[in-house]
Amino acid sequence: MIWLTWSYWLICLGLLVALLLEVFREKNFWKQLSAAMVIIPLALRVLLWK
Amino acid sequence: MKVSYRITAVLVLAVSAFVVLYTGSSYKSMYKDDVIVPGPSVKEVKMLSDYFEGLKDTAGDTEVYVLEGEEPGGTLLFLGGTHPNEPAGFMTAVLFIENAVVEKGRIIIIPQADKSGFTANDPQEASPQRFSFTTAGGNRRTFRYGARATNPLDQWPDPDIYVNPSNQTLSGSETRNLNRCYPGRPDGTLTEKIAYGIMEVIRKENALVSIDLHEASPEYPVINAMVAHEKSIDLASIAVLELELEGIKIRLEKSPPTFYGLSHRSWGDYSDTWPILMETANPSQGRLRSKTNEALVLTGKDPWYVKAQKLGKLYVPFDENGHPIEERVGRHSSSVQAIIRAMEYFFEPEQMITVSNVPGFDELMANGFGNYLNEPAK
Repeated sequence: MIWLTWSYWLICLGLLVALLLEVFREKNFWKQLSAAMVIIPLALRVLLWK
Repeated sequence: MKVSYRITAVLVLAVSAFVVLYTGSSYKSMYKDDVIVPGPSVKEVKMLSDYFEGLKDTAGDTEVYVLEGEEPGGTLLFLGGTHPNEPAGFMTAVLFIENAVVEKGRIIIIPQADKSGFTANDPQEASPQRFSFTTAGGNRRTFRYGARATNPLDQWPDPDIYVNPSNQTLSGSETRNLNRCYPGRPDGTLTEKIAYGIMEVIRKENALVSIDLHEASPEYPVINAMVAHEKSIDLASIAVLELELEGIKIRLEKSPPTFYGLSHRSWGDYSDTWPILMETANPSQGRLRSKTNEALVLTGKDPWYVKAQKLGKLYVPFDENGHPIEERVGRHSSSVQAIIRAMEYFFEPEQMITVSNVPGFDELMANGFGNYLNEPAK
């Protein structure tokens, strides 16, 4: 199942990068904040901390 | 005042980064090993991978303590930490490793059977990460309170349905539950490899009797109980009678023949050992508990369980005194010692085990658990 784990990790990493870019593109503060909150669990997943 | 959206982006990301680092360091701290200070009879500390190489350099590898007497005799194996959220089993293992004086035979102890489970808490349970005791010398000894099963970071994903090595069909999350994975698979998941490694310890060390120490929610029917395979039911009966004479009430249950994958069933089916599983009452893992914290783990006092008892919903007595860790470890300790003594009725004299200096139920209740922990090395 290692391939599945790494596929999942790559998807998380892709989403994380997309969200980071989105925070800088977004002009509405509340939407920036929402994206920043979603980043927290994704970053913990990508770092394999949780 | 108009604030640039780039500045707010940096600000919200800085807050996110702080939360990630703060919570991440807390999660990572669970990887720090618990300290066990070996006592006088510990002759060797092996690893589970010494018995099954497939576990080498994995999160499933764990310490195997060999306590050996001067005189040769039989071998008994016992496990703590099959479920790391059931601390009395782990603490009983620590109690034996740090105190026991084995005069004859060998006691092999695996204190953290599912070591991966000690590196995380169960989600949505609000469990404490650790609990502590003060030793006689005033030092603090801290131990981890883990999850019921293997850390999903070490074994992922869970299937929808898990078919275990004994061909039992279970819910998917049980794939990480060590006590559903026996006799294990050498080429299986991490948890199945751990189970296989433990079977190898039983087989290679020729363990006459093997004990798996657990705890259960007060509303769970099998509690303050021993569950014995048909091979070991007579041995467990003698131990239960002896415990009864000491004032320790314990229920004896026969291992159901179709409970494939559980230690009390599969250890006996797949090896020559006589298996016994034991349960005590741990409110910190129950569904009816109130505030979940270190105090609940240690004192076992919970007003909601007192109420549940009055409503007749529990399988153990539960009053304002709760079920402190001393009582739970004391029950396990006295039970293991009663089983060792009862072995004389079933095995040859040269297969006996003699052990002393391990506090039982009365000593632990009188003096507290911390008094029996060794002082940590400077």
